Amino acid sequence: MKLFNFSQSRSLWMMHFCTGCGAMEMPPTMTSRFDMERFGIIPMATPRQSDLLLITGYLTIKTLKRVVRAYEQMPTPRYVLGFGSCTINGGMYWDSYNVIKKLELYIPVDIYINGCMPRPEAIIDAFLKLREMIAKGEANAWKKYIENYEWYKKNQSEVFDVEKWSIKNEK
Amino acid sequence: MLKNGVLKMKNEEQIKKDIETTFGELVKVHIKRRHRIKVDAPKNMTLPILAYLKQRGFHQFTLLTCVDWIKKGMFELVYNLYSLDYNVHVLVSTHINRENESMPTAINIYEMAFDYEREIHEMFGVEFEGHPRLGEFLLEDWKGMPPMRKDFDTRAYVEEKFNVKDLTKELFTRKEQPYRGPGSNG
Amino acid sequence: MAKIRDFDYEYFIGPQHPGATGNMSYHVWAEGDTIIKIEPNLGYLHRGFEKLTELRHWIKNFPLILRICVPEPDINEVLYAMAIEELNEIDVPERAQYIRIIVLELARLSAYLLYFGGVAGTIGLYTVPQWTIGDRDYILDLFEELTGGRVYHIYQTIGGVRRDIPEGFKERVLKTVDYLEKRLKDYDNLFFQHPIFEKRAKGIGIVDKDAALRFSVTGPNLRAAGVNYDVRKKEPYLIYDRFQFDVPDMYKDGDTYSRVMQRRYEFEESIKIIRQAAADMPEGPVNIKIRNPFEYRVKEGSVYVKLESSKGEYGFYVVSDGGVKPYRLHVRGPSFSHGLQLVRHIAKGTNIADISMILFSLDVCPPDAER
Repeated sequence: MKLFNFSQSRSLWMMHFCTGCGAMEMPPTMTSRFDMERFGIIPMATPRQSDLLLITGYLTIKTLKRVVRAYEQMPTPRYVLGFGSCTINGGMYWDSYNVIKKLELYIPVDIYINGCMPRPEAIIDAFLKLREMIAKGEANAWKKYIENYEWYKKNQSEVFDVEKWSIKNEK
Repeated sequence: MLKNGVLKMKNEEQIKKDIETTFGELVKVHIKRRHRIKVDAPKNMTLPILAYLKQRGFHQFTLLTCVDWIKKGMFELVYNLYSLDYNVHVLVSTHINRENESMPTAINIYEMAFDYEREIHEMFGVEFEGHPRLGEFLLEDWKGMPPMRKDFDTRAYVEEKFNVKDLTKELFTRKEQPYRGPGSNG
Repeated sequence: MAKIRDFDYEYFIGPQHPGATGNMSYHVWAEGDTIIKIEPNLGYLHRGFEKLTELRHWIKNFPLILRICVPEPDINEVLYAMAIEELNEIDVPERAQYIRIIVLELARLSAYLLYFGGVAGTIGLYTVPQWTIGDRDYILDLFEELTGGRVYHIYQTIGGVRRDIPEGFKERVLKTVDYLEKRLKDYDNLFFQHPIFEKRAKGIGIVDKDAALRFSVTGPNLRAAGVNYDVRKKEPYLIYDRFQFDVPDMYKDGDTYSRVMQRRYEFEESIKIIRQAAADMPEGPVNIKIRNPFEYRVKEGSVYVKLESSKGEYGFYVVSDGGVKPYRLHVRGPSFSHGLQLVRHIAKGTNIADISMILFSLDVCPPDAER
């Protein structure tokens, strides 16, 4: 198990789902100056092959529906990194009618980065912390989602109508 | 911006004169400054003015916006048109009643109005007669009042929708026992 | 696969796709791999900015309004300040105007560098983003020195800028600009003259002159279609009429190649403007005094201000009722016309493989279409 955790922590595949403003600091983090690939983190286009979901900033209700879908498609163990003030309390959009306020009510979050917007150094610092947590076996938010599935679903359905929301709506 | 006022405004005056002679006294034309003309028109004259301006070479439909004058009970629709040749923006403004009044669509004159009218319909609830696809545009499964109306209180809506009791306190002050999610003792 | 209806396949591009900035989805109907219909679906980034600005004081909107367009946030601040200054008839101090020009043009350079990297990324040239985004960081470092923030600056205020430029800043700007100009030759070898890029981009996604005028195309996309139109020349805002610069008009085809190359040559012109602004900058105050910002009132009236952003014509329609808060603020983003009706028109008949390059080359930035 220890070996498993260790190797998991050294090759995080990050899902390339960049929502909102925070996506702007991702290209510098990925490319030559800050170069996150040296920590074994590479972007991946499909949720089915990724371990790490980055919520880079505010989520509108419409995007949250897609994020929940993507999150549920990811294989366990899966980790969520909340990015910027908007995921903590809504940030600048605390009174916006279309932006969710607390991300942790809808999907479990392992680690937050505060600030608007966080610098690449802060992002890399968060990655390193997450790596440590995984190696120690502490990043267990995904278990919470399975254990409290009903609770999360209830919260989600309060924000969007589950019966109405289906793949048909994406057309 | 002030220095522009000193320069000659030949194009602007020409357009002003042409609109006034074509449409008569009901239409009021003001030159606001260089490059900007505002036209106040009654509702039934608006589309003819748009058609006339398009024919005059105002090809660019810059924007369509709506202002909610709640005290007067009116919506002001502002069509902003631009011409490369004259280098002038003409803002055609018209007023309609806030409740139960619709506006004929402009998509037969300017194709670009298509999405603007969808947006105005969703955000203000203005009906555009003859528009083929008014409906969901930016919001999904929205119920209730269109959000950009002045009487829509976004803070009250947020408190109800996201189950926050007092918005300014709940989101910005630290609680004594921080929230740790379900299943924990905290 | 048997034909079910008059199309073979339906695809969903987005809401997250590496070939588009931000979340925007396109619903694509295709026959084989030829697109026969495309329908944009927006709303993933709608935050209701126009509503939020009505709830905040004039001055409190500065930190909010710039978050509309993330690749180039400064245009929002400047435009909002310009609208207030026009309504209240404020004369901005000379030095502040020069600083604004430098900030705007640096922001344009950084947006273009991001754009070059993005277009190259969509056709698989992954070295280019490594270089351009790495070089973009030199500009962000300058911004950080000037304002304290890499991406969001909150540097403009009513009647000027918040504080003066630090000592030696001008020299560092010139040094960075010299470096970027030198690097442009490397980019030519790496990307702009790359045979893959030329073969894939020429003749794809054509927006000709008629279509450009019909669909209200603005900015570099319009100039690439052969219409020599630039807000900086036609309706000089701030003090753009004092600088010598050209609007490149070598490219008239309106295809993806022209759009990219148009920006490549405008990049050089922006560098020219920065050099002149740095050389001519006078001494003096950088802002005007406002006694009580929370009681700041703007005269009644409405105004439409516009400027030339890296994506096209960016405009604010601001209505004031004489109060301490804006009555109405409408944001006219260039992506609203580029990303919706224009894409419906030009994407027909192109291949699935080219669509992300076409979308990126139009520089569609969904946040400014949705606000």
